[in-house]
Amino acid sequence: MSTGGHHPAPVSPVEQRVAALEALLAERGLVPEGFIEEITRRYESEIGPMNGAQVVARAWVDPGYRQRLLAEGTGAIAELGFGGAEGGHMVVVENTAAVHNVIVCTLCSCYPWPVLGLPPAWYKDPAYRARMVREPRVVLAEMGCPLRDDVEIRVWDSSAEVRYLVLPQRPPGTEDMPEAELAGLVTRDSMIGVARL
Amino acid sequence: MSTPLRLSDLDMPRRNGELAFDAPWQSTVFALAAAVVEHAFGGDREPFRQQLITAIAAEPGRPYWESWTAALEALVETLPRTGLA
Repeated sequence: MSTGGHHPAPVSPVEQRVAALEALLAERGLVPEGFIEEITRRYESEIGPMNGAQVVARAWVDPGYRQRLLAEGTGAIAELGFGGAEGGHMVVVENTAAVHNVIVCTLCSCYPWPVLGLPPAWYKDPAYRARMVREPRVVLAEMGCPLRDDVEIRVWDSSAEVRYLVLPQRPPGTEDMPEAELAGLVTRDSMIGVARL
Repeated sequence: MSTPLRLSDLDMPRRNGELAFDAPWQSTVFALAAAVVEHAFGGDREPFRQQLITAIAAEPGRPYWESWTAALEALVETLPRTGLA
């Protein structure tokens, strides 16, 4: 129940620890004024899967771009203006009728931030991290992405060195669709590889 | 032998744009780590990543952003007491 003070809701231990960190780091001059707000704003509104969707749509309509993207992901992604933290060495893996790619980080939560934003909760879950490597076909089916037995599944474990992005297959019947509209079809999950379009 | 993934437990996405943070302290501690990486480690994320791996491995069932907090606390411990590295 509120007592009408400055902190009407009880502050949890972890909130207290974060507040202590914030005070300590500010005191040491490591957190410039407005830094927290700016980072939060960027990740909540500017950096997210809509960026990756533009990359995918461009690759679908422009064969030259697709080639560059598959040959050297970081540079091709930078052509569209995306890069920065956690996007240092991007490798793009292409789904085909015969091969399905999916990304995971078994040790922590490495993820291609510039094109997908921050990872969803389930990507960081111990069950996903362990089981996607051990039994990808079962996990994909559980997540609503069943694959035929003759489709090869390649699981890519992200690391400090490499961040992966899945290039999904272009859906049939979209041959006449303009690039911007195609980008609207591309979901985050299809670029992680836990869904097909 | 494995336990099926419970979709509800995992906050399974149905579309793009899931909010990354459930509470303000989570976005704060995320940004604090970014500040330390940028201003104390010259943009090198690897020291933080190693702490995060250690923190997650130490308590695999702990909520993610709490492990993140523990990782940042451990990383800050390695900084010189006097301030900027």
